[in-house]
Amino acid sequence: MTHLKDEAFHIDVIDVGCAQSSSDKTLLESLEEADIDIHFHCREGFCGACRTQLLDGKVDYTTDPLAYIDDDEILPCCCIATSNLTIKVPL
Amino acid sequence: MKYTTFNQKSVNPLAEPMFFGNPVNVARYDQQKHDIFEKLIEKQISFFWRPEEVDVSRDRVDFQKLTDAEKHIFISNLKYQTLLDSVQGRSPNIAMLPIVSLPELETWIETWSFFETIHSRSYTHILRNLFSDPSSVFEDIVVNEEIKRRATDISRYYDDLIFATQLWQTQGEGIHTVDGQTHEITMRELKKKLYLCMNSVNALEAIRFYVSFACTFAFAERKLMEGNSKIIRLIARDENLHLTSTQHILNIWAKGKDDPEMAEIAQECKQEATAIFLTAVEQEKEWADYLFKHGTMIGLNKDILCQYVDYIAVQRMSAIGLEAPFSVKSNPLPWMNNYLNSDHVQVAPQESEISSYLVGQIDSSVSGDDFADMEL
Repeated sequence: MTHLKDEAFHIDVIDVGCAQSSSDKTLLESLEEADIDIHFHCREGFCGACRTQLLDGKVDYTTDPLAYIDDDEILPCCCIATSNLTIKVPL
Repeated sequence: MKYTTFNQKSVNPLAEPMFFGNPVNVARYDQQKHDIFEKLIEKQISFFWRPEEVDVSRDRVDFQKLTDAEKHIFISNLKYQTLLDSVQGRSPNIAMLPIVSLPELETWIETWSFFETIHSRSYTHILRNLFSDPSSVFEDIVVNEEIKRRATDISRYYDDLIFATQLWQTQGEGIHTVDGQTHEITMRELKKKLYLCMNSVNALEAIRFYVSFACTFAFAERKLMEGNSKIIRLIARDENLHLTSTQHILNIWAKGKDDPEMAEIAQECKQEATAIFLTAVEQEKEWADYLFKHGTMIGLNKDILCQYVDYIAVQRMSAIGLEAPFSVKSNPLPWMNNYLNSDHVQVAPQESEISSYLVGQIDSSVSGDDFADMEL
């Protein structure tokens, strides 16, 4: 089990803006808090609606993502940032 | 190759392709070629629900209060959903089980189909409550021209694959004449049919179903037909998982992670696959026209529904590497997300009457701080 410190990371969303991560929120929740519009449905990792491109950085999954994601993609609804991130959300 | 229910030849399932390899023999899940299917099975089983657990009795009163235009929308929508699940309750089994080669995928297909039969039974549960005799609603499904037109396209790819598989399994590759018609059966053609069928299934579950969900939830947004919406929410959650599975299959093929010939076919048939999706989009728009022909309802009309069809199509097509010739940036029906969020799905009987029961009720997240003042 990984012990995440209460560390906030910087999330750079290409062409949109930026957000701060927090260890008690999923990446999706952090983005929503920063008013960044992102698609979602199930919020549990099985529908794939929030599929996002990860350009730089690392995330940890809180639940095993079941939806199809490519090697350079993440599901923000079920992951937490473990470093600063650069992501690209579909517009 | 003749189908056998227990292939006595020793095969290594880790080296088999998903389809058209050796028939599965031992149903074993200790080792998996594509473990995603085992994970999907577990998730799907955790979703288990029974239509009878959802109280739909209040819907009868609501239904009486609907305008004629709204009644037409509601019942036509339900008929369409019934058709979709009638097809889905049997077709993956009949089309895919005879040609599947991995135990985990075989079991996923069976689990998937089983849940579609729960959906079918739930439509009867809904209709029995609305009408003392729902026969006329069911009977119209096979005679209604608007529904039939779409049924033709939905079942076509399945039927094609099933027929070709039957010829191949009984007569092998070659040219066969059946009822005066010649059919050329080659492995390449069979795989092509399978590829197109999988795209058609994905379009059905990822686009067609969502159009019908939008209609259902538009009633719930007005606090009408909430029992029905409760059931459709459970169905939507299952369908979400199903469409994820066909997206996985299509992407596994396209990325060359399974049968290399399927990767070639995915490339070769890209245009045809795109056409399947675009035809589904067009048909759904025609359907919107039919739904609203007697008038609209508050919160939903033909234009918004058509925009939603485009929006959802762009999302779904991009998930399997297809490009849509149109782009819709924002969700025209943002409230749909409230119904598709799996956190908001509940089946407990006491909670079934009020769909807003859960809102703000439970905070399931626990942080380390919550235990700060605890001592052992």
